[in-house]
Amino acid sequence: MAKVQFIKSADVKPWLAELAKEHRVFAPSYDGEALLFRPFDLEQEIILDRAATMPPKKTVFPQSEKLVDFTYSKDPENLSRVKIDARETLPEGSTVVFGSRPCDARGFTMFDRVYLSDKNTDIYYQARRKNTLFITLACRTIENTCFCNWVDSDPCDPTGSDVLAIPMNDGYLLESVSEQGEKLLNSKLLADGSSRKVEADKICQEIAGSINNTKDLSQAPAKLLAVFDNMQFWEEVSAKCLSCGACTYLCPSCYCFNITDETNGMKGKRLRSWDNCMSAQFTMEASGHNPRPTKAHRLKNRVGHKFSYYPTIHGGVISCCGCGRCIKSCPAGIDIREIVLKAIDFEPAAVEE
Amino acid sequence: MKYQQELKDSIRKALPGLDVVIAWSAGYDPLHATPHFIRREEDIDRLEIGPFSVHNLATYLPGLRGKKVGIVVKGCDSRSVIELLQENLINREEVTIFGFPCTGVVDQTKIRKALGHTGKVDFCQIASQTVVIGLGGEEHKLRLSKVLADKCFSCQYPNALISDHFVGEKISPSVQTEGDDDLEAFEKMPMDERFAFWQKEMDRCIRCYACRNACPMCVCRDHCLAESRDPHWLSQEDSVRDKWMFQLIHAYHLAGRCTECGECQRACPMDIPLLLLKKKMNKEIKELFQYEAGVDPEATPPLLSFKMEEENINEREW
Amino acid sequence: MTKNIYLPEMATIQEVIRETHNIMTFRVTLNNPEAMKNFSFKPGQVGQVSSFGTGEATFVINSPPTRMDYLQFSVMRTGEVTSKLHSLKAGDQIGVRAPLGNSFPYEDMKGKDIVFVGGGIGMAPLRTLLLFMLDNRADYGKITLLYGARSPVDMAYSYELQDWLDRDDLDTYLTIDAPYEGWQHKVGLIPNVLLDIAPSPGNSVAITCGPPIMIKFTLQALEKLGFKDEQIVTTLEKRMKCGVGICGRCNIGTSYVCMDGPVFTRAQLRQLPNEL
Ligand code: SF4
Ligand code: SF4
Ligand code: SF4
Ligand code: SF4
Ligand code: SF4
Ligand code: FES
Repeated sequence: MAKVQFIKSADVKPWLAELAKEHRVFAPSYDGEALLFRPFDLEQEIILDRAATMPPKKTVFPQSEKLVDFTYSKDPENLSRVKIDARETLPEGSTVVFGSRPCDARGFTMFDRVYLSDKNTDIYYQARRKNTLFITLACRTIENTCFCNWVDSDPCDPTGSDVLAIPMNDGYLLESVSEQGEKLLNSKLLADGSSRKVEADKICQEIAGSINNTKDLSQAPAKLLAVFDNMQFWEEVSAKCLSCGACTYLCPSCYCFNITDETNGMKGKRLRSWDNCMSAQFTMEASGHNPRPTKAHRLKNRVGHKFSYYPTIHGGVISCCGCGRCIKSCPAGIDIREIVLKAIDFEPAAVEE
Repeated sequence: MKYQQELKDSIRKALPGLDVVIAWSAGYDPLHATPHFIRREEDIDRLEIGPFSVHNLATYLPGLRGKKVGIVVKGCDSRSVIELLQENLINREEVTIFGFPCTGVVDQTKIRKALGHTGKVDFCQIASQTVVIGLGGEEHKLRLSKVLADKCFSCQYPNALISDHFVGEKISPSVQTEGDDDLEAFEKMPMDERFAFWQKEMDRCIRCYACRNACPMCVCRDHCLAESRDPHWLSQEDSVRDKWMFQLIHAYHLAGRCTECGECQRACPMDIPLLLLKKKMNKEIKELFQYEAGVDPEATPPLLSFKMEEENINEREW
Repeated sequence: MTKNIYLPEMATIQEVIRETHNIMTFRVTLNNPEAMKNFSFKPGQVGQVSSFGTGEATFVINSPPTRMDYLQFSVMRTGEVTSKLHSLKAGDQIGVRAPLGNSFPYEDMKGKDIVFVGGGIGMAPLRTLLLFMLDNRADYGKITLLYGARSPVDMAYSYELQDWLDRDDLDTYLTIDAPYEGWQHKVGLIPNVLLDIAPSPGNSVAITCGPPIMIKFTLQALEKLGFKDEQIVTTLEKRMKCGVGICGRCNIGTSYVCMDGPVFTRAQLRQLPNEL
């Protein structure tokens, strides 16, 4: 049974301060004009009435992290030889993210299928993932760019979260989703919330009613494959793309990375850092050959991966959570919804020459 | 926009001789426009120009070399076109330029700041000097001057400086009401504070390189030092040092070439005040070389030329 | 404890062989004797070889699992990592993450006639399977090898070619692109020579690796000879980083070359979207 608690708006910060004694706590606050998940600080204003610029992606998948530490030294047994010592460096400690949105938290479930599969386990990801808890806020304001309801989710979706917080007029109803989440709900600042459950459910229904009409994307995987070789289609939809990394780095479900070595004298490290399929370098081979030479090829992969290949591999799950950040933050106004719908509606006969 | 129909007619006439015309159309909500690539007659209807035509479309020109391209430019965009021509990055014969008298574009960040957030805009009307925005059922009135881009206040060239077709009447430049406040404030800071300022701002950079790719004058994009291993100037660490280093490299490459269109800053998803750095650089260039980028198609940017003795650089006495 | 898929095994270069002006072969052993003893892989599988400080690059293990004194990698110099590897010598330390990827369907090939067609560095993966088959000779029918390079000095594994030519249980053909003084073998492009040799498709499997342009024409030649898509096996190359299907860069549609490849039949390739 889920634990149901209630917290008054004014108690949110004191509660986070309590949690911060045991965990690293992140909450949305402004850094310049960007609303980011930043280390909790009593002095800072927490902003909960709007979606953050960036999802809390870095808490589980840092922009850059060390995979291996290595040192060179003279081999004591044979001084003409260099010995190399390589050690893994695993992350430690636990983290609580407060104020993630359902789409944000659900994003990590897209990572899970890849990083924690039955074939391979990424132990760096695993260490952070299992020690990062999400107290997710259901969305009362649905933005123009939101379309979680197109991708089998909704503004009160608890998938991937540990606690779901439903905003009420005087505070938040906190419902545990996972066992670990339940443990977060023991503070004296919280009161039993079961009596307000009905009210909260009603709020969720209202929100669900206010979101834009859903679209049927079940044809997307097949249709996107069908236009794969139609470069004119892709050149047209990508014409205004600048081939930057904004859409992918702000995406809660984009999980691609690079591995590079950095050295400093006799020491060095192997890093894993964010990378993305919109970058020309991503698939560039040492020979100079690039299987995705133009932005049209690259945008095709981004849309294809999320709406066709990933669902084909992973039981139909679209790996876009509908957060809309790529639309909102694209400097060229590319709208991924438009591209997917265009591919679904595409009639091959229309371009036959 | 007053001259929209005229512009459409002008494009319609020219389209048969062109592969594509780049303009703007309505974006994903009433507060946004998006670049619009007109290839067919029916695409013309969707063209819209106005205060949301923020994108500098000149950015697309070098990538379209070899094609016959039409482009609609604001005054400031035309300076990028001039700069690209100066540096032979595009061919004049391949480009057909459509100009119009520009009355300024908005700064989305300013609107966002004024309203708290702009996630749910239902409508937006701009009448003379007032912007009325419907946001989640409520109506908000803003003075246009409050949300206009900084560059528009000090704009000296609202009419395209170069064009093949100009629609409407040319207008005179706006009087400078608010100058480069940010630059003045920055220059008042002592050196260590300046560095602290940039460290704080650059810390949130996610290294997406939208700033670089949106810049009309960045010509190396896919071959950038930022991602190169040979030379290996930047590491892939999430460090301010590397992020700042990139901005410095970019700013140096742009010194005397940057027309202050502000695309870097506009493109930055993290709202880092990148234009400030470019302005500072340009000011130095102006003081040293009396040069302003993107005004004269025949001129050569000072850092692309060489003089034995520069008037304002006193090398001999160092 | 779960295995760390990114932490390489430390290995020592035992021997370096200069094959051609731009190819070097490294024979390496894992430093941990247990790991070396327990190391098992299948012909066709690859490894990520790293020089710490420079990075990793992908190479096929081109010694067969039937000869486990060392693991052999042949490295063609193309970029940063391969240049660095070329500067290493016996005794130097490298990292190895292996085995990765799928393997040649050598079980399905049992009882069949085998036709190897290799060009340049493409001989490396074929070498693994060839030696494996020679070490299990009774399991396979007639084995034909056609190996081509630009000129005699561009031929890797020159030291074993004579042995291959001399064997009664292997038909070896060597070819170079243009006549060369003292060259005793065939002259001509691989696909043309293949048409001359004209191996029978009957109960055969053809395995071909090499540069893209050679593959393209070899596939055409095999088709002309009557080989069906299911009878043709080849390997793909993509830029790889993680090697385990996570970093996201080596996909062609739904297939990740690092996990689902590098070995594909031509029939499988036809199923993939066109993005090579
Ligand atoms: S879609 Fe937009 S954000 Fe993404 S690469 Fe293209 S221009 Fe950048
Ligand atoms: S693809 Fe765009 S809308 Fe979908 S989850 Fe990523 S950023 Fe959000
Ligand atoms: S869309 Fe591109 S960057 Fe994002 S997860 Fe897929 S392949 Fe990676
Ligand atoms: S700077 Fe001048 S030309 Fe450019 S948008 Fe503003 S007013 Fe128009
Ligand atoms: S656009 Fe902004 S976040 Fe992206 S690289 Fe440039 S400064 Fe950094
Ligand atoms: S190399 Fe990382 S997914 Fe294939």
